[in-house]
Formats: sequence, C-alpha cells, structure tokens
Amino acid sequence: MHTLFRHGLPSAALALAMSLGCTASQAADNEIVLGASVQLTGPVANTGRYYKDAYQLAVDQINRKGGIEVGGKKYTLALKIYDNQSDVNLSVRQYTQLVSKDKVNFLLGPFASNFALADSAVSEKYQVPMVQGGGASDQIFSRGFKYVFGTLAPASNYFGSTISMLKQLNPAPSQIALLYADDAFDVSVAEGTRPLLEKAGLKTVIDERYSSNASDFNTLLSQIKSKQADAVLVAGHETEILNFIRQAKSLDVSPKIYSFTVGVPSEDFRKALGADAEYAFGMTAWLPSDTLKDDWFGDAAQFAKAWGAQYRYEPDYHAASGVADVEAIVKAIEKAGSLDPKAVRDALAASDFQSLYGHIAFADNGQINLDQVVIQVQNGKPAAVFDGSKFMRDAKYPMPDWAKR
Amino acid sequence: MDLLLQVLVNGILQGGLYAIMALGLALVWGVLNIVNLAHGAFIMLGAYISWYSFTWLGLDPFLGLPLTAVLMFFVGYAIQRGILNLVARAPMFNTLLITFGLEVVLTYLAQLVFSADFRTINPSYSGRNITVMGLTIPTVRLAASGVAILLTLIMWRFLLHTRLGRAIRATAQNLSAARLYGVEPRHLYAVTFGLGLALAGAAGGLYGTVSQINPYIGATLTAKCFAIAIIGGLDTPLGVIAGGVVLGLIESLATLYIGPTFADVASFGVLVAVLIVRPSGLLGRTA
Amino acid sequence: MKALRIPLLLLVLVALALLPLYGSDTIIQFGISTLLLAVLAQGWNIIGGYAGYSSFGNSTFFGLGAYGVGIAMVQWHLPFAAGLLFGVVLAVVFAICLGIPVLRLKGHYFAIATLALAQVMAAIVSNIELAGQNIGLVLPPLNNDPLFYELSLGLLVLATLTVWWLTRSRFGFGLIAIRENEEGAVVMGVDTTRYKVMAFTLAGLFSALAGGIQAYWITFLDPASAFDITLNVKMIIMAVFGGPGTILGPIIGSFILSAISEFLSSEVTSIAGLFFGVVIVIAVVLTPRGLADVARRFRRSGWRYFIENIRMHRL
Repeated sequence: MHTLFRHGLPSAALALAMSLGCTASQAADNEIVLGASVQLTGPVANTGRYYKDAYQLAVDQINRKGGIEVGGKKYTLALKIYDNQSDVNLSVRQYTQLVSKDKVNFLLGPFASNFALADSAVSEKYQVPMVQGGGASDQIFSRGFKYVFGTLAPASNYFGSTISMLKQLNPAPSQIALLYADDAFDVSVAEGTRPLLEKAGLKTVIDERYSSNASDFNTLLSQIKSKQADAVLVAGHETEILNFIRQAKSLDVSPKIYSFTVGVPSEDFRKALGADAEYAFGMTAWLPSDTLKDDWFGDAAQFAKAWGAQYRYEPDYHAASGVADVEAIVKAIEKAGSLDPKAVRDALAASDFQSLYGHIAFADNGQINLDQVVIQVQNGKPAAVFDGSKFMRDAKYPMPDWAKR
Repeated sequence: MDLLLQVLVNGILQGGLYAIMALGLALVWGVLNIVNLAHGAFIMLGAYISWYSFTWLGLDPFLGLPLTAVLMFFVGYAIQRGILNLVARAPMFNTLLITFGLEVVLTYLAQLVFSADFRTINPSYSGRNITVMGLTIPTVRLAASGVAILLTLIMWRFLLHTRLGRAIRATAQNLSAARLYGVEPRHLYAVTFGLGLALAGAAGGLYGTVSQINPYIGATLTAKCFAIAIIGGLDTPLGVIAGGVVLGLIESLATLYIGPTFADVASFGVLVAVLIVRPSGLLGRTA
Repeated sequence: MKALRIPLLLLVLVALALLPLYGSDTIIQFGISTLLLAVLAQGWNIIGGYAGYSSFGNSTFFGLGAYGVGIAMVQWHLPFAAGLLFGVVLAVVFAICLGIPVLRLKGHYFAIATLALAQVMAAIVSNIELAGQNIGLVLPPLNNDPLFYELSLGLLVLATLTVWWLTRSRFGFGLIAIRENEEGAVVMGVDTTRYKVMAFTLAGLFSALAGGIQAYWITFLDPASAFDITLNVKMIIMAVFGGPGTILGPIIGSFILSAISEFLSSEVTSIAGLFFGVVIVIAVVLTPRGLADVARRFRRSGWRYFIENIRMHRL
C-alpha cells in the first residue's frame, strides 16, 4: 500500500506533467499571432510594461484599420504575452514555449539588452524572426545572427550627440567623469563612449564601472567632487540614476553638466525627482512630433495622444519602439506576401518605411541606426536641445550649485 | 586626504542607517534564536507604510516613525503568534525555511498591492546638508544615524534594565523555568518578534528617505543585515552599531580603493571571514 | 510488496528514458528543468539530509559548474565534456578549501556561512573578465533537447545510486551518526571532518554537473542566474517536502513541486512564485519531515499526523 503511494506519486506527477503537453493552443485560422515574453512583474517591470502596452495598442490599431492582407486573405493580429517576472532564464524558456508549444507566427522582444541577448538565441535556434525594441547593446548584433532585428539605436553611440554638444558649450567642459553599470547595455555604451571622448579631445578623470542595482553612490560622488569633474556621463538604470541625483544633491555635488542614458525621457522619473530633475540631460531617439508620419496612427503626436487616452501616462521612446516592432513585422509580411518565417525574415532585412518612430531600416547586422537627440529637463519638461550637429534651443548651462537653485 | 575623510564620513553615516536596519534582526536572533530570513522584506514593508503616510497623510517620515513602528509591531505579533510559534521548538532549520517562505510571499504580495514602480520619500528638507571642516554632511543621513543610535541605546537599556526586557531574556534562556514563574511564552515571543519588526519598520521609514523603494529590495537588505549582525556580534544590541559602521566603512573604502563593483565582494568576504574566524562577532563575548 | 519495488522503479525509469520519443517539446523541456532540480535536491540530500548540515549555498557549486562549461566552451573553445570536467574540478577544489573551515560551524551559522559564500562567489565572478563579468557568456547554441534530457536523467540516476550506496556504506552510517550526535560520533572514532568534507564535495559535484548541463542547454549564463539564490531554497524545499534522508524523497518532492509550479506558471503567471512561498510555509508546519514520513505514519495516525507534528514543535 505504501509503496504504491511512494511510487504512484512520481507516476502521477509525470501524468499530470504530461497532460500539460497535450493542451496545444490552436490559433484561429485567420489570425497571425505575435508572441513575446515581457517583464510585467519584477524589478524592471516599470519599463517592461511600456512594451506590453505598445504591442497591444499597435495590434489593436492595426486591426481597427483593417488588419493585414496576405495572398488575398484577410488576417487579424493577435498577441500572446507571458510575464517573465524580470527573470532572464524564465524568459528564455517562455520564448521557447512560444515557438515550440504555442506555435506563434513571429516574435516580439523583451525589454533590456541582457534579455534580448539571451532570448535572441531562441529565435535563432528555431529560425523564427524576432523584432525587439528593448535591447540596444552592440553585443546582440555582433554574433552573426540572422533572425533578430532591433529598433533601438546602437548603445555605443548613445552619447554621440551629447559629446558633440559638449564641444559647442561655453565654457566647454574639460574634465569628464564616466560612470556605467555592469550590464550588457551600459558596458556597450561605455565602450563606445571612450573613443568618442578621445576623438573630441576631452580628458576622462574618472572612468568607473559600478554594480547594477547599486543604491549607494556617495563614494563615487565624493570622488567626482574631489577630482572636479565638470561633465558627468552616467550609463545606468532609472533607479540608480534616481539615487545618484538625490545623493548628488545631499552631498552638494553639481558639475557643470550631467547626462544620463535613461530616465530623463520618462514621466515617472521626472515626477519622482520633482524639482531636482531640472537641468538633467538625457537623450532620446524619438520625440512625439507631428513630422513623424505613420500609416496607422497618423503621426507621432496623434499616437502620443492615443496612448495617453488609453493608458493615462505619457509614452516615451520605449513605447514608440515597441509599436515600431509590430509595424515592421506587418510591413514585412505584406512585402513578403506570405507567413513563411524565412521569407518574412528576408523582407524584414530589407525594411524601408516611415513610421511614428522614425525611418525603419536595418543594417546588415539587424540593428537600426537612429540619431540620438540631446534633451534636457527644462521647467519640468523634456526639451529637445541639440540634434547632433546644432542647437535646437538654448541649453540651460552651466548647472548652478544646488543651494542656488 | 580630504577625499579620504569625506569617504570615511560617508561610510560612518551609512553605518548608522545599517545599524538600525539590523537591530530588529539581531534582537530576534540573539534573544529568541529566531533567524528571520524575511527581515529585509519587513524593512520594505515599513518603508511602504512610511511612504503611504507621507503621501496620503502628509506625515513627515521622521515624525511618522512611531506610527510605522506600531503598525509593524502588530504585524510582527500576529506573525509570531500565528505562524512562527508553530515551529519554535522544531530544529532551527525549519525557522530558516519558513521565514524564507514568508519572504517570497511578502515580496509577491507587495508587488501585487504596491506595483513594481519605485517610490521615493522626498520631504522638503531631503537634499540639505551641512558643511563641517570642508566635509559635506547630508542632514537626513545624519538624522537617520542619530535616530538609529538612539533606538539602539534604548533597546539595550530595555533588555538589560526593565522587567519586560528581563522577562524576554529569561524566557529565551530557559523556557520551562520561565513558565514556572508565570511567564506566558507564546505572548512574550510574539511581543519580542513584534518589537523586532517594529524596529525593522522604523528602519524602513528611514531607508525610504535616502534610497528608493520597490518590492524587491527585501533580499539584498536581508543579506546586508545578516552581515551587519554577525560582524558586530549578537550578544549585545550595541553590536549592530559596530557591525553597521564597520560594514559602511568597508564598502566605502573598497569602492574608493578597488572599485565600486568590489563593494559586495568586500562586505560578504568579511562576513565569511568573521564566521570562520570569530563567529561571535566584534562585540561578542565568547572568543 | 517489497519485491515489487525494484521492477516498479525500473519501469518508471524506462518510461522516463523513453519520454523524448512520445513527449512534446514542452514536456521535454519541463523534464530537463525538473530533472536538474531533482539532481540538486538529491545532492543537497547528501549534506543536508544525511549529514544534517543544511547548506544554503549549493547554488555556488551550480554556478561554478555552469561557469566551468561557459568559460571552457566560449573562451577556450573546448568541447562540452571538457567544460563539465573543468566545472567539477572548480567545485571540488572549492568544496575542500572552503568546506573545511565552514564545516566547523554549527547549526544555522553553517547555513548562513554557505549563503554568504554564494553571495561572495557571485560578486567575485561579476568582476572576472574571463567569465564575462556581469554581462555573462553566450554559449554556442545546440538544438538537441533530447540529448540534454537524457544527460539530466542519467545524472539523476547517478546521484540517486550514490545516495543508495551511501545508505549501505560505512560512510553513510558515519554521516547519519554525525547528524544524530556529532560529539558521540567523534568519540566513537568517526573522522567527522573528513566525512563532512566528503559529503559536501559530493553534493558540490552533482550540483556542478547540473549547472554545467543547464548552462549549455539555456546557452546563456550570468552571475545572477548561475548563482541564483532561489535555487537553494527550491532544492531544499523539494528535498524536505519529499523526505530528507531518504533515497527517493527528494525526487518525489521535486517532481511534484515542479509540476504544480509549471502548471501555475503557464496558467496564472505571477502566482507561481507566491505558490512556492506558501508551500514552504505550509510544508514546514505540517510536514516537516517530508512526504516520505507522511507516507510512513499516515497509515497509523491518519489525519492526526499533521496535528501531532504541530503539537510537537509549537511553543
């Protein structure tokens, strides 16, 4: 009796587990399913949700405007999204499940370079195209993979426009502090920034890598003050940058200019800092301007309004990038005239169209190339200041001491 | 030289905050022999309570500490009475597992209720600082350290010199004898755990003023608190001050002289070293 | 009844081994994850279940095994087997060098020391350039899940046979003696230090092999995933839930808990993590000695078994 219990149990567990494999989801005949594993919960969920919202809004809008037509037949788009709980391992398994069990047609990406780096190995393994708008690290695209495409501009060039701007500021900063987190994206940014700084003839007095999710920047800030760095470039995550700025205030560290790879474009960030966000520089490859025309949303400004009405928060480049991913797949399907993964992959590689995110075209390695516009928080709002070669408006420079704000 | 002094000051101030964070853990562990792997999650909870009081009621985080502490006390009492008391006489390992389970549950519940967005407690005076001899001292950190030291001293006095304190220590040392004296151990254990969580809650409130909060900070905070408690020694509540300051200094100096990514290597490395060489910690009585 | 046991086990084993032939892709993947977790649980069983030293840091060995394979294959372009060997060497060296001082600690101090070691290892590796620092390594992709499945199954069989051998050997009796009364064991002439370190090393060896297989299968590793702290709790709760100090307990525990967790993950995504936490709390209160014990005593005491457990342990 009890041996039956002991050995019956593993068999029962097996049977239960096997039943999991039998429920294969069947997509409707006229549906094209896009699958993604996104960070809906977990430490980076506050940015991860931009992607789910973007994919949903795009799919809904495209369906509202008539869906897609392939080979004379009309299709609607459907989404299958899993929550990877900000766990890379889980996201890899979920992408594998999307491809092998759920049999989705095409893949959309997660947020963050380290996720995209790991998850694209799945799309490559199963040869299903993935268009991701969350990973900018050059590493993702330097492996010769054919099935991953990215709509975020290369990490190595994030500070490109900023550095060009530095030289045109008056008085020009001469001592640079470069701080970067130790994840794939930020290391890529730093590796790209160093040669740019050298070419610009700027001296780097501090060049430090810090642990992701660090919360204590006091020592680094004291070093910045002591070495009298007048321009501080930080490549990190929103929460770190938030801590950085607050601690800079409490330690009375105010360089002439500081610029961050993330944070400034996003509403939560500016709200969390309140008045302390003023003067901070950042960059974005996207602004909700009406000059960016789009086949489904009209233009970027209308998109931003639709987003705000639906979700009650402002979109930023993550959102636009996510929408661009869906549009790229749809355009590629239409161009290829089929749902065959290889044909669509080839069509994606040859993408060339205007969208609310900008001009969509991928380089040979699969990554888009867009210029970053330098923005600054002026009067609580992000203002476009420098477009890579000239000033679009005056920069509020140099940053005054904290006591004098 | 100035840089070094500033970094040392930063480390010491950080140490004050660390001390209050670990105090609750050290109390419960040293006195009740309950190793609470969920301690960091309770700090996180206290931070959220503080945040809500600040945002909804406009209550200043420092002034609101008593409220946070009282609320967390009741949470602690309930948890000890309802769950932890059930395994109090089982091997220690069971307590470790169950508190770990609690940590997982709390983190998920926090994420469900509070969402993953990070929050900050930003009173109007948050960025202020004073300059002393060329060194910049952030006032909030200074105040937090001050509160931490004060609470630690109060706890020390409480345990050694008040009736309730002595009753708690007696119960922990000899359960049956304490019962003979009319002590109700279930209630006393719950009170002690409640105190531990009250302190964790207060630490959370202070933490929220200097760092941002989100549901996931629990695990890292627990690890840090363990390091602080062990390095300082569990035999006296004053140990957390020693442990906190030492940890703060180690992290700052490691960052300054080796690199920011080595701060964790240094702090956990010291923890392992202390465990191997002198498990009773810096202020521990037994060699 | 006992005579039926071996054939029954063999039947289950054959059914499992043939799974890649009749199971879907998802089942095979679920199988690999579960088998690797079962290996970890079984490894923990040796040091925690039999020797009574609850290590909360076996994830360190898992990570060392993973990085062994990662570094060997990515940086030195060696084959997978060489990588596994490298990982095992790393784990064994670590187990002996750090095991000796750490195994002198008792009770929860040992548990915390192993937890601290796991943290230190993760922090150190995130600074080593050869290991890709905090970015990690991307391994060459190999699309052959059945191979990984059979490897994992083989490893589990190996680990279980080791535990079975343990129960019949002097070494095993020595470990149990250490668990029940260490001072008494010393008095009786058991070389406790050597036995403890051997147990720790064995646990480390299996954990490292599991880590190596996982790394190659997922094709990606970084310090956070390789030295994942939650693995420790998972392997412990699986071993404890199934029955620590028994041969099949950890396997049963892993299979059941993994199945339920997987089911929850795919249906109600974020609740899976919550589920584990709740299971731990309930299991520790109601079944602290695992399902194996429940199976043994339930016949006698029925539902009172659970109440007895609580009454025995509560204040």
